Amino acid sequence: MSSHSFNTIYAMWYRQIIRFSRNKSRVIGTIIQPLLWIFFFGIGFSRMLSSESTPTNLPSGVDYLTFLIPGIVMMTIFMASFMSGISIIWDRELGYLKEVLVAPASRKATIFGRTLGDATIAVLQGIVILLLVFPLTPTINLINLPFTLLYGFLMSISFAGIGIIIATKMRSMEGFQLIMNLIMMPLLFLSGVFYPPEVLPEWMRYAVFLNPLTYATDASRNLLLGFGSLPLWVDTIVLLVIASVFLVVAAIMFEKTSEG
Amino acid sequence: MSKYMVLKMSVSNMIETKDLTKQFNGFTAVDHINISVKEGEIFGLLGPNGAGKTTTISMLITLLRPTEGTATVAGYDVKKDPDKVRKHIGVVFQDTSIDRYLTGYENMWLHGKLYNIPSNELKTRIKELLEFVELWDKKDVELRKYSGGMIRRLEIARGLLHTPDVLFLDEPTLGLDPHTRAHIWDYIKKLKKEKNMTILLTTHYMDEADKLCDRIAIIDHGKIIAEGTPEELKSSLGGDVIYLKLHNGPTSYRQFMQTLRQTNFNGTFTGVSGGTLTLTVKSATKTIPELFDIALKAGVKIEEIRYTKPTLDDVFLKLTGRKLRPESGDAISFMKDRMRLRFSRRGFHR
Repeated sequence: MSSHSFNTIYAMWYRQIIRFSRNKSRVIGTIIQPLLWIFFFGIGFSRMLSSESTPTNLPSGVDYLTFLIPGIVMMTIFMASFMSGISIIWDRELGYLKEVLVAPASRKATIFGRTLGDATIAVLQGIVILLLVFPLTPTINLINLPFTLLYGFLMSISFAGIGIIIATKMRSMEGFQLIMNLIMMPLLFLSGVFYPPEVLPEWMRYAVFLNPLTYATDASRNLLLGFGSLPLWVDTIVLLVIASVFLVVAAIMFEKTSEG
Repeated sequence: MSKYMVLKMSVSNMIETKDLTKQFNGFTAVDHINISVKEGEIFGLLGPNGAGKTTTISMLITLLRPTEGTATVAGYDVKKDPDKVRKHIGVVFQDTSIDRYLTGYENMWLHGKLYNIPSNELKTRIKELLEFVELWDKKDVELRKYSGGMIRRLEIARGLLHTPDVLFLDEPTLGLDPHTRAHIWDYIKKLKKEKNMTILLTTHYMDEADKLCDRIAIIDHGKIIAEGTPEELKSSLGGDVIYLKLHNGPTSYRQFMQTLRQTNFNGTFTGVSGGTLTLTVKSATKTIPELFDIALKAGVKIEEIRYTKPTLDDVFLKLTGRKLRPESGDAISFMKDRMRLRFSRRGFHR
């Protein structure tokens, strides 16, 4: 890689980091939201689904809260990276994109740096959530934490990429909120974050296994709780493939959209 | 002619276009434009909103691909060598293009990295340029807290960071108050004087073009309709311009014009705009008494009469029959520009 490309990637990565750190409400919001999910979902459902009262699909000794927490960490990373990726639309809206496009820097490097920045922020948020909630589930295997984050990172690259791809196709800001609701909610519920994919009807399971979030969630359960719907090596390969595909597609789309 | 000569000629023209054209779905925004800008020259594209100025600039800075024709900037073809062109130009866009969440220094730093300026050189360049635009003491302030004028100055400094050969300024003072405009003009003049910078600027303020530019091309409906130094353009009108307002509107205008044609009037009628007749004459002081005689003969009453040395506005009026702006620099158009700028800045970052 040329030093120019490296500088470009570094600069665009760094920009995402500073922007995030400056935006206090965004920092607070992204931490509070998952905590609310854990609080309302976790406490309520774990009472209802405790293994003593009703038969569940969870392995014995795993309560719903324990099951939920790795999923919520991945959900945090998913939402953060997707939002961050799609927010490139603000760069077009507010003019910064032009500054980038008129620079002699490689556009692939530009978008690569940005995606890395988005992924870094997303994973940082995931770490914060995990540190805040792991006392609730003492059974979590903390030694595997760094590996879990690696899977979170691969997943966040996929979603930052998907966000960028959507943003390049959006011509106005009106669709922004719609897309957030129309895409994020189904992705969230068809991912195994809230319930194991096995409990779903077969036709829904197809959708679940098309979703990158499923594999990251599954990998995190494999690593932190010791069980999952798929073997870890399947999660690894699928995530690696998905992340590289979306990264490349995002770079190509970005290069295309910037031509007059 | 030897090869060397050819090379030298093409380098001394920093910008050169040949039949540069841009069409959008059948609409011709820029129509076979031919301009050449010499090294160290400030060249102005003057025209009303929507005349094709920004489209022209966008093609020259490689953001838009020409539909037809060619252009070279700093010796490189914008179609064949866009990356080389990008390396050698600095751009200040019409709408702001900075990151509001970053400080002045960080915006500069980021630019330096995108242009691959070595770190130690970058530091000294940033300091030098932020001092040049008098923003060094504000370098650690986020741009959200900058005023419109400060952002403009920062953008100019940023555009110069990688020592470009040509600087493009698209409406550099749009939406700024008169005081700040004058300030920006000083920087632009200083740039020419101290750095011999080649500048292409677009504007729809005729006073801006007049004060800053060595040469001007007047553009309307995507075509260049006149070109020359401000002096040449103004003297092409042939003298002073008289503005005449008559009592009682259109009927009295007709009568007045009829009588005017019958008499041995020594001047040209340039147009009517906003109820005001415009006449171009050799000497206004001699003609004005004659006009009173004509009005008397025609039986109409002169309500208001004034004259000026010709402006670029008058040149535009003569060429197109329209004014460049409804009322140049007045409160309403100022407010409109201001609103446009504000709307373009709206929205919040995520």
